[in-house]
Order: sequence, then structure tokens, then C-alpha cells
Amino acid sequence: MTRAADERRIKWSYMDHWRSNGPAGPIDQWHSHRSMSSFLKQIKAVGFDAMDTFDFRLWQMYGDYGGPAKYQEMVQDHGLERIVNIFHAADYDVRNYAPHLPETHENILEDFRVTMGHWSSIELDNIIVMPATLYYDMEPITEDKLKITAELWNKVGEITAGYGVRLTCHHEFFCGIQSEPDIETFYSYTDPEYVSLFVDTAQHCIASVDPVALYRRHAHRVSGFHFKDTRNIATGDDHRHRPDSEIMAPTTGKWFYEMGTPNGLVDFTAMMTAVRDNEYQGWITVEHDKANRYGGDYAESTAVARWHAVNVLEKIYR
Amino acid sequence: MNGIRWGYALNQWKPQFDDFVRREDHERALKTISIAGFDGVELTAGTGRWEPLGNPQQVVANFGSLEGFREFMESCGISAVCSWFYDPQQRSMEHLTGPLSPLNPADMDGIVAKAEWFARALAELGGSVLLVRAAPSAWEVPPDDDALNRLAECWSRVGNATMRYGVRTALHVDFLSMLRRGDALEVLLALTDPSAVGLALDTAEMTVSGIDPCAVIKRHPRRVWHVQFKDALAVDDAEEYLQSHAEYAVRQRGGTREIPRWFAEPGVDDGRVDFAAVTRVLLDAGYSGWIVFESDQSPHPATSALHGGYLLQRELRPIVAAESVMS
Repeated sequence: MTRAADERRIKWSYMDHWRSNGPAGPIDQWHSHRSMSSFLKQIKAVGFDAMDTFDFRLWQMYGDYGGPAKYQEMVQDHGLERIVNIFHAADYDVRNYAPHLPETHENILEDFRVTMGHWSSIELDNIIVMPATLYYDMEPITEDKLKITAELWNKVGEITAGYGVRLTCHHEFFCGIQSEPDIETFYSYTDPEYVSLFVDTAQHCIASVDPVALYRRHAHRVSGFHFKDTRNIATGDDHRHRPDSEIMAPTTGKWFYEMGTPNGLVDFTAMMTAVRDNEYQGWITVEHDKANRYGGDYAESTAVARWHAVNVLEKIYR
Repeated sequence: MNGIRWGYALNQWKPQFDDFVRREDHERALKTISIAGFDGVELTAGTGRWEPLGNPQQVVANFGSLEGFREFMESCGISAVCSWFYDPQQRSMEHLTGPLSPLNPADMDGIVAKAEWFARALAELGGSVLLVRAAPSAWEVPPDDDALNRLAECWSRVGNATMRYGVRTALHVDFLSMLRRGDALEVLLALTDPSAVGLALDTAEMTVSGIDPCAVIKRHPRRVWHVQFKDALAVDDAEEYLQSHAEYAVRQRGGTREIPRWFAEPGVDDGRVDFAAVTRVLLDAGYSGWIVFESDQSPHPATSALHGGYLLQRELRPIVAAESVMS
């Protein structure tokens, strides 16, 4: 049986970082229903199929839109299919929320019991987590700590699976599990049924991990992607800079760029070829957080990234 | 089957003479326009080395040749420069000439020569329409019979000249134009050769002037040779366009009400133009050709282009597609 010519195996979602200018200064799209509509129109105009968001938006969805399902209706009114993935941006803290510390696990498990209930009114594919605390709060990274961390996420994955949602791990370059050997050790202790890998092309690249090779090794348990680019690899203590690496590392003021940027380090052609070779079917999410830094423009970055997806990547696999 | 194609005007990316001069700026703008669903771009004439897309000489200086520029556009997903806007009142550093007036018979040869210069390049770039600023501002000169006859003679000559390159000349009437007064536009259209001169209908300039663009299309279905879809945010109902130096006092500063923005991209909130209605009227009139979205100026060019793309894809293309099926 051959596929119909117009059948697509890949759909494209957009991770909803966004900034624009309001009458009183910079705003994000959650500023008003009008700014949200403007954002959704722009995402639809360049051809995205759906969107991802953060779960800290939940309270505004309830307070301003009537809940996740009602907010999703607005998304759908603009021609997008749905919300695909939720990024669970937790406040990691060694006192009460640190996956390598067993005494904090019950608090984390309860967080997910509550969180998944909140999102149960809509269909989600993944809930995405950074699987470790900040690097400097976890170091030295030991096999024991990785094993304890894996055991936590196995349990969390069971909870999310009960809601039909995959628990998937997104390895920021500044989190405790970012080097290639530590990632490998971590997955060796996790249960593929309950813990998946979410490949962020830029984050791995910054951490000197080849995202294509990583994906090829773990393709069977990859449940999604952030396609974004970078122009810099972390050096020295960039990954453990206090209090923050993501926007405060002395070496690099802007880590992330849109796919299609000049001098990008991610080989998206190789990445898409690997996606094709592994016959991945599902969603690829485009992301370029902090695109507005140093004069950047979210609308333009989003257009350029989507242009690259249509004119380069979809010629490899769609 | 109608032959409507959709383009986007690049002028919103160049609010000042030193903006939008680098290749990477052009590439990002063209890719943004392409992914938003547009196929062609409209250029605005300019002069000097900081106007790389302003005229054929500068295009060649920056891209090696017109063919080189076309290849660059195509690499970004844009198939053609559909149109070029030329205002003879601009000076030309390339020709060492000052402003030329279509009302001055002594300037006519120079205007025809420049129009041919643009038309020849447009033909190579896949374009089909040269837009010209049809007349000076209303405060400068009244539209008496003598003035209208001189305009008609000039533009008929220009139209016949550009036609030799397969490029049609279309008169662009802005809201400061002397052609806004009385029946001046109607008279001028009657005086010009209908096989050589058409109308570039700008929905916003008409609306700001208090003129219904649909009514113009209905009156002149065969004369509309080019369309610019631009929204209007206010109407000059106090006729401030008649005051001296209205270019600065009214168009730029917004007149006594200090209108911050007369124009905006189609799809903007609170716009006064009903683009679905204009599209239907164009289809009823049998219009075939380019419809160019324009914001003129924008506080956020990429967002303007994407809002336009949303309107195009979700509302206007389905109207055109439905018409194609019915016919």
C-alpha cells in the first residue's frame, strides 16, 4: 500500500514564545484577546497546523478564556487544529522540587497529579519537562543521582499516561542532564513506556551533543522536537553560570535563533533526513525563544523558520 | 477562470532612505512575503546608492544584472516584480535630473524615457504594470481643462511607450491628488487613450478621499489595470488635502486631528475597507491581473505581511476560488 501523494506524515506546531509592541510598551500575546488573535492569525498565515504552550498559562486560560477547552476553541476559530504539547516549566528548587533528591519526589508527583487534572479537558500529546534541576544545583552529576531522577520520571510518566499524555524530557544545556554520557545513563534507567525524549536541536547543539546522532540512537522513544537554531556552543562554565545561564551567561547574550538563520550550527537537512529514515510520524514543533533580543522580531523569525520548513525540509520528508 | 495574482508592496520595509539596503534584509522580507502566500512584489522607485531596489541601475549594481535579481527573488519564493511605482516628481541621481512634471510639456520626453527605463526592466523581472503618480497635489494646481489635457497627453504617450515592452501604464491617484477634485479623474480617464492608459485602484487612497472604491470599479470596469489593497484608518472629510504643502501637514503629520496613521495593511483591526466586497466587485467586473497588498508604512512590517496573508488565505482566496468554480 503506497501513501497518497498529498498525505502528510509530519505536522507542524509552533511553541508560543512571542513578543510584540503594545501602546504602553512590549507585550506578549496573552496581553489581550486582540493581541492573542493577532498572534494566532500570524501563526496560521505562515502555515502552522497547531500550537504548543506553557502550563503556567493555565490560570489565564481559566481567568480570561473560561478554561483550556474554551481557549482552544479560540485557537481553532483561527484555523489551527489544537494545542499539541504543554511545556511544564517548574520552579526547580533543592528545598522542594529537585528530581535528584528523593525527599522532594512526593511534592513533584502531587504537582503532576494536580496538573494533569487541570489539562484533562483537552487532548494533549506530550507534557514536556526539563528532567533535572539547574546544573549547579545537581553537580557533581553521579550515576546515583541520574538513577534517582529516572525513577521519579518513571512514576510521573505513569501518572501522565493515565491521562493519555506522554511524559517527555527536554534537555536544556544548563540543566543537570545535558552531556551525552549523562543523557545515555539517564535513559538507561528510564522506562521507555513512560519516559520519552523530546529533541531540542539547539539545546543539544549548545551542549556539544549532536542532535542528529542523539535522535538516531533514541528514535524509538522520541515523541517530539523543538526545531530551533543556535550560533554558539557553550564554553567554560556557561552551563553552570550562577544565577542563570540561559540569558545571563557572560559569553553569549542570545543563544537561540530561528531555523534558517545565517551561520546556524544545527544541520536541519541532516535532522530531517534522520526523521525520514526513522519514518517518524507526528508533530514537529518550531521554536525560537528570545527571538526579539538584540532587535530581533518574532513575526519575521517565525516566517523565516516556516519558509525553511516548507521550502527545504518538506522536500526531504513530509 | 480568473487571472488574479497576489503581490505585496515592499515600501513598508523602507520608511527611511537608509533602511532596507542590505541583502539579508531583502531575503528575510521576501521569504516573509512568500510564506504568507504572495507570489509577487511591488517596488517603489528611488534614487541613489541606498536604493538598491529603487531603479534598474541600482538593481544591476547590487545583483549583477536584472536576471541576477530575478534569480535571487526566486530563491526566496517570489516569482516576479509585478509592478513598479514611479513618481516623476522625484529627482534622479542616476540621470542628474530634478523633478519632472506631467503638466510641463518640456518634461514630457524625460518622463517617457524614464517610464521606458522602468518598463524595460519590469518586463525582464516578470512584471506587467508601471504605476505612475498621475498628477501633482491639489494645493499646487487646479484641475482645469488645460491641466487635464496636458496630463492626458503625457500619460497617453507614456502608456504607448511602455506597451512596447508589454507593460501597461496605470494611473495612481492618491488622496492629496488634484484628481480628487470634482470630476477631474473622470475627465482625465475620458481624455486618455483607453488602450494605453488604465487606472491603478488604491483602496485606501480612495477611501481616505471619501470615494467608494467599489463605485470606481463599477464605473470603469475596463480601465482598472492594477489594484492595491491597502486599508484606511481615517477619512479626510474636512478636505485638508487642499491646504498648502499638504504632504507634510496632512499626509505626514495627520492634519489638524494629528491622525497617527492614515493607512494600514489589509486585515488590520478597525480598517474601513471591506476587502471581501471589493474582491467580489473586481470579479464581477472581470478583473484579471495583480492585486498588491500594501501597508504603505507599518510599525511592524512582518506582522503586517502576516496579517495580510491571513486575510488572503482565509477570506479572499476562497472568494476567488469559488468564482473560478462557478465560471
